[in-house]
Amino acid sequence: MAKFELTLPENTRRFLHDAGELSRFAARFFAEGFSPRYEVLEFVRQCFVVGYKSLPLAGLTAFIMGLVLTMQLHPTMVYYGVEAMIPAMVGISIVREIGPILTALIFAGKIGSSIGAELGSMKVTEQIDAMEVSGTNPFKYLVVTRTLAATLMLPILVIIADAISLYGSYLGINIYENVSFYLFFKQIFDHLLFMDVVPAVIKTFFFGFAVGIIGCYKGYYSSKGTEGVGRSANSAVVVSSVMIFILDLLAVQITDLL
Amino acid sequence: MQKHTANSVKLGVFVLAGIFLLVLTLYILGKNKGMFGASFDLKTHFRAVNGLVKGNNVRFSGIDIGSVKNIVFVNDTVIEVTMSIERKMKSIIRSNAVASLGTDGLIGNRVVNIAPARGEAPLIKEGDLLPSKDEINTDEMLQTLRRTNDNVAVIAEELRSTIHRINTSAQLTELLEDRTMSANLKASFAHLHEATEKASALMTDASATLTLASQGKGALATLLTDTTLSQEIRQVVKKIKQVEESADRLANDLNQVVVSVDKDYNTGQGTVNALMKDSLMAAQLRQTIDNVEKGTETFSQNMEALKHNFLFKRYFKKIEKEEKKKAVQKKSQ
Repeated sequence: MAKFELTLPENTRRFLHDAGELSRFAARFFAEGFSPRYEVLEFVRQCFVVGYKSLPLAGLTAFIMGLVLTMQLHPTMVYYGVEAMIPAMVGISIVREIGPILTALIFAGKIGSSIGAELGSMKVTEQIDAMEVSGTNPFKYLVVTRTLAATLMLPILVIIADAISLYGSYLGINIYENVSFYLFFKQIFDHLLFMDVVPAVIKTFFFGFAVGIIGCYKGYYSSKGTEGVGRSANSAVVVSSVMIFILDLLAVQITDLL
Repeated sequence: MQKHTANSVKLGVFVLAGIFLLVLTLYILGKNKGMFGASFDLKTHFRAVNGLVKGNNVRFSGIDIGSVKNIVFVNDTVIEVTMSIERKMKSIIRSNAVASLGTDGLIGNRVVNIAPARGEAPLIKEGDLLPSKDEINTDEMLQTLRRTNDNVAVIAEELRSTIHRINTSAQLTELLEDRTMSANLKASFAHLHEATEKASALMTDASATLTLASQGKGALATLLTDTTLSQEIRQVVKKIKQVEESADRLANDLNQVVVSVDKDYNTGQGTVNALMKDSLMAAQLRQTIDNVEKGTETFSQNMEALKHNFLFKRYFKKIEKEEKKKAVQKKSQ
């Protein structure tokens, strides 16, 4: 151990160690992910588990969020006499920020913990070691497929969740006044720009990758038996959630520069 | 295996739905910005664009027809805005249409409004420069508002002063407290009402008269339409004229007499002069008149004596009786 490391507090040293290991883990993902052999069937299965099975939860959350956001905004917008701006305001809020962040957090809670716990339990029961012994590359089969599935499925999940959320908003505004479906969505699209949609979609790839890679990392390096499995699952959710906010902050800064 | 296939189908639907929604969103946004339809460029110049950015909508008579493509400085006071307009608008927009800056709603995005102008002009062509109208600046509006406020303050002060004068005016107070005023006013209005009614009746009568006249009835119609009457009137007028001429001659004669008298008077000759200036003649004339008066008095006494004379007494009584008889007859009539 280097002298510099010994001068740092234990927590800081552990944090930096984890950050470095995670970076190496991510680099290994890119190195092994783009080289044959590809675990296509496992990737498709993981897409189904990660993406499709997350849709009910993400969809329900998004619907409620759109409905509630509209109902909460309505009195204030009426007070200022700009209730006609509700569709545009809700649309931009959901597409740019609320949809991606909320869905990513739900995704992190459901998929991050699931991956962490699954890989953690495989680790502590030495199934991963057994795979290595049997000639299967556990990293390709377990990590690459799950991380890639999370990276590709979260954007799709976010787009569908955005649509559901906007529909919830449409129902919400119709509680108070009569707005046609066409007019509601026309007002949204009249105010949306490419710069609202494209960066929002792009950042969700990073969110998905963060959730996948952190969940896999935490599970892949799990230890201390069943207690370690729970800790892996928990830390996978916590770290990926924090990472989502950090990435979002970076995405906003980069978008502002464009 | 079947379960695996079913899961793959569900996954496929999920992925395709997501991709479809993304593509649909991008297509609608692109269509709104005129990216997929044929378009052409138009330019206009502004002094200031007040927050207009690339991608803001362009409207013609309130309908979205394109978007702002580019904004560049031409010099320090002129900004050139290039707009991408739907090609189909080439057959509608004329080159005298005026571009102006506006806002989408009260607090919405900036937009370029193109409004058609009066008068004939050729249709626009690719790259044409439209005339522009500068937007009313908020600062200018506030300055105008400030001037208006100042004016309102002055008016309010003068109004306050006027009201104070009205409140402190003894004459006005007296006038307001005078209870007879309302009675007088009431009476005046009653008279006015009466006068109006009479005028109305008069107008009705006049109208009726005119109606009769237009029908050829009544005195007015006769006056207006009877040719013999007009002939007679003409003769009357002629006679009046003759009388006037006679009067003129008489006046001339009198004038000559007056002139003659005046001449006599001034030259000291003639009867008038003698009557007016000769004191001896006046004394003789007065003596003569006195003698005549005395003679008349004496004659009157003689006549009274005759009345009482038995030779003439009967005659005078007869005359007296006839006069009495005539008086009685006159009364009975």
